[in-house]
Amino acid sequence: MWRNIGIVFMKELIDNARDRRSLLVAFIYPLLGPILLGLLISALIGVVSTKPTERAALPVTGLQNAPELAAFLTREGIKVVPAPADPESAVRKGSVESVLVVSPEFAEQFANERTARISVVVNSSRLPGLLALNHLAGLLGKFNREVWAQRIAKRGIDYRIIQPLAIESVNVAAGQHIAEFLLFMVPPLFIFNLFMGGVYLAIDVTSGERERGSLEPLLINPIERWGLMLGKYGAALFFTAAAVAVQLIAFRVIFQMVETPDLGFTRTLDILAILGIFVMTLPLMMLAVGVQVIIATITRSLKEAQTYLGLLPLVPAIPGLVMVFAPVQAKAWMMPIPVFSQTVLLGQMVRGETIELINVAVSMSVSAAVAALLILLAARLYDQEKFIFGS
Amino acid sequence: MIEARDLRKSFNAVTALDGVDFMARDGEVTGLIGPNGAGKTTALRILYTVMRPDSGTATIDGYDTVRDRQEVQRHIGVVPDSRGLYPRLTAREHVRYFGRLHGMTGQALEDRILELDRTLGMGEFIDRRAKGFSKGQMRKVAMARALVHRPRNLLLDEPTNGLDVASSRSVHTLIRELREAGHCVLFCSHIMQEVANISDRIVVILKGRVAAHGRPNDLLREAGVDSIEALLLNLMGEVEHVA
Repeated sequence: MWRNIGIVFMKELIDNARDRRSLLVAFIYPLLGPILLGLLISALIGVVSTKPTERAALPVTGLQNAPELAAFLTREGIKVVPAPADPESAVRKGSVESVLVVSPEFAEQFANERTARISVVVNSSRLPGLLALNHLAGLLGKFNREVWAQRIAKRGIDYRIIQPLAIESVNVAAGQHIAEFLLFMVPPLFIFNLFMGGVYLAIDVTSGERERGSLEPLLINPIERWGLMLGKYGAALFFTAAAVAVQLIAFRVIFQMVETPDLGFTRTLDILAILGIFVMTLPLMMLAVGVQVIIATITRSLKEAQTYLGLLPLVPAIPGLVMVFAPVQAKAWMMPIPVFSQTVLLGQMVRGETIELINVAVSMSVSAAVAALLILLAARLYDQEKFIFGS
Repeated sequence: MIEARDLRKSFNAVTALDGVDFMARDGEVTGLIGPNGAGKTTALRILYTVMRPDSGTATIDGYDTVRDRQEVQRHIGVVPDSRGLYPRLTAREHVRYFGRLHGMTGQALEDRILELDRTLGMGEFIDRRAKGFSKGQMRKVAMARALVHRPRNLLLDEPTNGLDVASSRSVHTLIRELREAGHCVLFCSHIMQEVANISDRIVVILKGRVAAHGRPNDLLREAGVDSIEALLLNLMGEVEHVA
């Protein structure tokens, strides 16, 4: 029997290795996620590592109302340039990143030692805008502290008495932080790819075989129906595993190519970690192929199978996508949930958290058990005439 | 030898087989005839193990098609109703795949493929992928993979359907050769001339029952008609009348 399963497995492997579409999905699609992520990270690093001199030109209106501020800016090496007539629309259009607006009342308020108003116009939906805001806030904060220290000293108080903390908010890690945020895309990309890798093969060997009319002659050979199913299942699993391996290796290669400041995950994803992730998610691969084989078998036609299974990979990727913005802490109750547990564990790896072995064990064994049930169910489907003849 | 005893099979409310009995002997060609939807294909599908009868039994060389499915499968070669090929495999790979599933290996299998190549004339396309094969070429591959394990019994569902004259004739020749070699050949067809030409015995199936069976000449004489076509129309009239 095992020999016959092997024969079916090899036939499906060779057959599908000649199918450009199966190869594309198993070996080229997995590269897209890592490449996309690599491009995003390197673009981001490019933006945030803009040289300070490029940021030194600051459009300001009404600076004549604030000579003290003007002197401060000069001391800080900021080159003040005239601001556009309509600062808000100019910033919205992106012709300047930021405009500092000094109100006409500033001079009087400042002279009377009252809180004086100053506006910073930025577009924080753009990353350079966010960085300009960060920069300006730091700059103005420094001015604030200087003036405040002078005023309090005039009254004979050492400002250090009422300033318990001197907070130097020099955010050198801004770019790194955002790049790390992008790395949270790794789990959903991984899960999507895992559910995508063997899908065409799973359809081709089940629904496709039936629609071509090659299933009936195949069933007349002396092999158990479940054995036949297992051979086909194995081939789809092989392609899924190939897609997962290709993607993991691609992540590593891309992370090494992109010049990042030390991002935890990009450095810890070594061969051992890749192997670990592969083994950890193997039960999920088995489960994914089980779902695919069952759906492709019970759908009435090849087209129907392709429609359902084309959408399927998106569904398990959803938790991971949500967790990009709302990360969750790994909890024990999450581990028996297939897809979710793997997403959480991968998220932990990406964030550089320590993974508890018991969690991995629970995740793997429950997913493997569900996969086994699905395989059993698929084997039983192959004993039913209505699925053999598709009517 | 192939035997069907009181086979019954329904699909939901539709009765496909309503108690079918017949026998196909070794060294003979048995033709199943009947109009579309009479139950020919269902009967064959039960005999070649892809369907289970609701009741009744079918045996091949004494093996039960349900209980001893794999043993039956080793004893039959089938060109079934659907006989699609794998577009990305060559003709040779098709035959090799089925041969291996029947436990054949190595040189013995390759020699057998060569032998079938000569018998069926597959030389010009045997190493081409099946995508784009003509109907005649596809049928040759279907025949070759049915015969690769030298089965004693052959079940052919409409073996010449859609073939041109020359290809049909070569299938007929092959069937006759198999009969001469002592094989049991059971085939169904709706081409009456074909059935009359190559069958030693005929089984007429109408509405899920055997309406007549015997040697073609005996059946014609008894019915007082001069063609299988007329015989079938006669029988259909009777069945309508009874119903």
